[in-house]
Order: sequence, then C-alpha cells, then structure tokens
Amino acid sequence: MIPLEHYLILSSILFSLGIMIVIIKQNAIAVLLGLELMLNAANINLVAFNLAHPHRLDGQLFALFVIIVAACEAAVGLAIILRVYQFFHSPVPDDINILKD
Amino acid sequence: MSPTEPYITNWIISSALVALGTPLLSGLLATLISPRYAWLISLTAPLMLLFSVIASAMLFYHAPGIGSYDVNVPWFSLGDHTLGVGLYIDKLTVVMVLMVSAISFLVHLYSTGYMAGDPSIRRYFIMLGFFTFAMMGIVLSNSLLIVFIFWELVGFSSYMLIGHWTELPDTGNASRKAYIMNRIGDLGFITGLMIVYQQTGTFQFDFIYNEETLPWETAASLCIFMGIIGKSAQFPLLTWLPDAMAGPTPVSALIHAATMVAAGVFLLARVHFLFTPVALIVVIITGLITTLLGALAAMTHTDLKKILAYSTVSQLGFMIVALGAGATEGAILHLFTHAFFKAGLFLAAGAVIHSLHQAQQGTTHRFDVQDIRNLGGLSRSLPLTFLVFLVCGASLSGLPFFSGFQSKESILTALIAWGGLTLSWKGLAVMVILLTTFLTVCYTFRLIWFVFIVPGNERKEGGLSVMEVPFVMRFPMIVLALCSLWWIVSANPLGFSGWYHKGSSSMPGTVLSLLAVFGALGFSFFHYRNKLAPGRESEISSALAGTFYLDKLYAMVFGRTVTRLSVLLTLFDKKYIDGLVHGTAYIQVTLAHVVAWLDRVMVDGTVNNIARLAGGIGVFTRSFQGGKIQLYIFWAGLGLILLTLFLIT
Repeated sequence: MIPLEHYLILSSILFSLGIMIVIIKQNAIAVLLGLELMLNAANINLVAFNLAHPHRLDGQLFALFVIIVAACEAAVGLAIILRVYQFFHSPVPDDINILKD
Repeated sequence: MSPTEPYITNWIISSALVALGTPLLSGLLATLISPRYAWLISLTAPLMLLFSVIASAMLFYHAPGIGSYDVNVPWFSLGDHTLGVGLYIDKLTVVMVLMVSAISFLVHLYSTGYMAGDPSIRRYFIMLGFFTFAMMGIVLSNSLLIVFIFWELVGFSSYMLIGHWTELPDTGNASRKAYIMNRIGDLGFITGLMIVYQQTGTFQFDFIYNEETLPWETAASLCIFMGIIGKSAQFPLLTWLPDAMAGPTPVSALIHAATMVAAGVFLLARVHFLFTPVALIVVIITGLITTLLGALAAMTHTDLKKILAYSTVSQLGFMIVALGAGATEGAILHLFTHAFFKAGLFLAAGAVIHSLHQAQQGTTHRFDVQDIRNLGGLSRSLPLTFLVFLVCGASLSGLPFFSGFQSKESILTALIAWGGLTLSWKGLAVMVILLTTFLTVCYTFRLIWFVFIVPGNERKEGGLSVMEVPFVMRFPMIVLALCSLWWIVSANPLGFSGWYHKGSSSMPGTVLSLLAVFGALGFSFFHYRNKLAPGRESEISSALAGTFYLDKLYAMVFGRTVTRLSVLLTLFDKKYIDGLVHGTAYIQVTLAHVVAWLDRVMVDGTVNNIARLAGGIGVFTRSFQGGKIQLYIFWAGLGLILLTLFLIT
C-alpha cells in the first residue's frame, strides 16, 4: 500500500506547479490551466484522505463536486477570457491594466 | 501788574500783536505776489510797516501806565515741565518796539527807491519783513527761550540779507562769516539758557528774577553775555560787522546799525539782574576794548560804509560799558538815539552810493564809490544828503542840540558817579570812554570832510552829473535827521532828563563831554584842514584798519588749527572709521555665507530629504500595485505563506 505522505507530496508538487503557472504564464488560458491544476491537486488530497476511511464516500463525492465546479468555472473563465481578448486584442494578463491609472 | 482797566490791557496786547504780526504779514504778502507784479511789494511792504508803527505808537501811548505786564500762554509740556510763550511789556519793550517799527518802516520806504529794479526784490522784502518780525519777537518775548528762538531768526535773516546780492564775490563769505561768528556766541547763549533752566526751572524773566546774588548767576550771565558779544559785535567777535557791509545799504542801516546789533544791548538790559559784580567787570572790559578798537579802526578806514560799521561797533561797546556800570537807562537812551542817527548816516551814505552809481551808469567812469579817497565835494551836488549827514554826524559826535549829546551826557554822568575821576581802573575806564568820545568826533569829521567838503578833482567823481536821490529815499533821511535833534530826548537841549530817563546832569559830565567834543572838533579841523585826501600808508594805520590783525589772528589760530584738525580727522576717519565699517561689512558677508550654507544644507536638506523619503515610500508602495494581476497573486500568495508561517510558529 502506498503511504498517504506520497499522495500529499504529489498534490503539493502539483499545487506548487499550478500556482507557478498562474504567476508566471503570459497567456490567460495557460493561467486558467494552472488554476485547473491547483484544483486537481486539491482533489488528489480529498481522494487520498478518503483512503483512511474506506467505508465513507465523503471525500470522493466532494472531489466530484470540485470537478463539476471546475468545469463551470473553466466555462465562465474561458468566456471572460474570450471577451477580454476581443476587447484588448491580447491574451496577456499584464496588458489588461486600464484600472491602473 | 497794577490794577488797570481791562480794556487798556486788551488794547495793549492787541497792539503789541499787531506790531509783531504786520511785518510778518508784509513778508508773507510778498511771497504771494507774483514776480511779474513785484512793484506791488513796494506799496504793500511800507504800508504794512506803517500799520506796525501805528500799533507801536498805541502801545507806546498806553503802556507806561501799567508798569510791567506779563501775559503767558502755555506752549507745550514735557513731563511736568511746561514751557510758555508770551508777551512781556514794560518801558524798555515799548521804547524798543517803537524804535524798531519806526526805523524798519523808514528803511522799507527807502528800500523801495534803493532796491528799485533789483531782480530779487521779492526775496529782499520777504526777508526784511521777516527780520522786523523776528526783531519784534526778541523785544516782546517774556522768556529767554523765545528770545533765543527769535535771536536765531534775526541771525538767519541777517545772513540772508547780507548775502542778498549773490552775484557779488564777497557777499557769500561775509554772510557766512556773520552767521558763524554769531553761532560761536550763541553756543554760549544756549549754555546760559541751560544753566538758567536747570537752576530756576523756568525761562520767564519774571520768575528768574531774584534779589540776591547767587554763584550760578555769574556763569549763566557770562554765558549769555557770550551770545551778546556775538550779536552786538563785541571784542573777540567784532570782525563780522564790517564785512556785513557787503549787503545792501538799507539793510546795513536797519540790521547792522539800528536794530539787530542793538538786540545784544537790549538783552543785556533785560537780564541785567542776572549779572553779578564779577560778570559786570567782564562786561565793562569787553565794552571798553570794543569801543576803543572800533573808534581807532574807524579813524583809519577808507571805505565809507566800513567807517560807519566800525563806528557802530564803537558805539555798541559804549552802550555795553554803560550797562556794565549800571547805567541801564542811559544805555537804552543811547541805543534809542543811536538807532536814529546811525540809520540816518547809513541812509545818507546809501544815498551817496546810489546817486554815484546812477551817475556812473552809461559812462566809462568807473571807480569804487564807497572809497572815500574817490569822493569829495559832494556837498554841492547832494546838498540835502550833506545836510542829513551833517545833522546825524553831529548827533553821533555828541554836539549840543543833538540827541547824541544828551544820551552820551547821561552815560558819562552815570559813569562819573560810578567810577569817579579817581586813579583806579574805574577812573581809567572813564578816561577810555572820554577818549572814545574824542575819537568819535575825529572820525566823523574826517568822514564828512573828505566826502563832502574837500573839493573833488577830475580823477574823482568830477565830470559826472550827480543828482539827488528820489523823494521816497529823501523822506526817510529827513525824518531820521529830524529825529537826531534834541527834542527826541527832552525839551531841554542840554539836559537828558525827558520822557525816558529821569535824572539830572552833573557838572563834570557835561563839562567833560563838551570839552572832549569841542577839543576833538578843533583838533580834527586843524589836522585835516590842509589835506585833500585821507592818507593810509603807515604800518600803524593799516594795523588799526584791520582791527589789530584780529581777522588774520583768527585765520592763523582758528583757521589753521581747524584745517589741521580736519586733515587729522579725515585720516582717522579713513583709517579707523572706514576700516571698522569695512570690517563689519566683511564679517557680515562671511556670516551671511555661513548662514546661506546652513540654510541650503540643513534646512533645505531636511525638507528635501523628507520629501524624498515620502516619494520613496510612495514609489515602494506603488510598486505593489503595478496593474499586474499575476504580481498581485504572487504577493498575496507570499503574504499568505508568511502569515501562515507566522501563525504556526
């Protein structure tokens, strides 16, 4: 049996990679992808913790919820990015700065 | 003040004020008249003065009934010291007021002829009116302070009038000399004023007066006497008066013969109570030296006006001696008679000068008309002037039936009663006075002889058609000649006891004065009988003419000392005072540089650094909000991690 720590290490690596993508990437869609990565890292945690209590399904169910919410979120996010791209003609988040001044 | 009817006192005050004010009004009126109508001044000025004479005559008529009368009005207060201004009217005042206004009126009238056509006639009449006002002020004032103020004003108008003909070379120096010499005297006067005020707390004559002799009175009286020396041209300060003859002749008649120089004698009579016996001895000695010096200088001078000026000096010394010996009334009587006959002499001399100038016009015949060596035989062409000169000169000499005889007789009588004919210094003083009387006759005779009687030759004024002066000038001369007769003093031609001076003449006085006068007359007749021109060659006569080198002495002693002192002072000034000023300036500039540096570095630096700090903080905090979404997330994530770490540990 694979110990819990390994799952947790994997998820934290994934989370960190997600957050890094969110911060670093110059493309808004890539940022959205990073976001999905972070959500999935959380899902791994939820499923991994569910292993400790095999007769209950709370963790798995919650992971399913997260996937659904993530799909919705991705849909909304992509729509926003599309509109933003139409408006600014640029997918780079740094160019979207008209509130700055 | 004796009880009198109030309307009388009102009369007196108003007539005194009118007599005082109308000359000033005359001067003010002359300032208002435009230069184009300057001839109008010739009408207004004598008219105003005529009012003054009428007011003075009223004062003269009413005042003797009241003794002395003092009206004082507070002028200003300094702390608890109140200074007043007011009138003091007594017998002395009314005599002086009448004399000043009468002679001033006659001189104004004479000036309208003498100064006719003068381009600056306005200034002349302004100053003449102003002078009369100031002189009246001296005479009428009730306190020493006001007298001093008017005293300075007459000095100023004298300065202006001596220098009236600004285009002539000597007038400027003469007027400055008169002014500066008077200042030297006034230095003493003002010191005397301070002593009097410090001791008595008042300037009013009535309150200064006390019976006993106090030690400070000697100092105060000698200081005041210094002012009198300056104004009346007494011994050390006498040389300005002959030089003052550079002014117009009517001015010489009014200011430098009849009134202003008599102001000193008047003041001496007014504050006579201050003079202690010691001070009186100084007064007598000064007067004796002056009277002898003046008479000797008059003997040798050849300038018509300067002879008269030295004669004035001599007569003033005579009055000062009389005052010193206590013969106040005699001195004032002589002042009164002297004013008339000396003014008459000056006006007659002015007539000679004027008519010769008129005759010279349009000819090539040029000579100094004031030099008696150039004159002669004028009795034929100027009979009236000659007559006036003769009458006034006789009065000056002290011939019987003329006013001068009576006033001199009264002084001699008093002097003989004071000093006697004993072998003491007092007796010597009387002898000096007799000698002066003798010399007076001699120089008067010499003057009349060479100007009028000795026949003129071609080198002199011969060939010129000399005409008498116009009536407006003849009239004052005639009046003054009439006033030089005996009736002005008393009905008795040989006694001086009249309206002013009550007393009887003593035998020795009359006899001695008659002896001196007639002796001198005989002596000078035999001396000058065969001479055609006055000689002036010998060393002694030039010494006498220069008043024993008094002027040269002043130039040597004071002039050179002052020049050297001023050179020294200039050096000192340049080296030390300027050095000090420059040093101070240098220190200031250095200090200013230091302060500027401090300001720039410290004050400005602090302000700039605070601004820079605020800016830096602003830049720093702004860097978090760069409008970069990912950066926000980064900072938020970092902050979250740090917060978590902080909460865990």
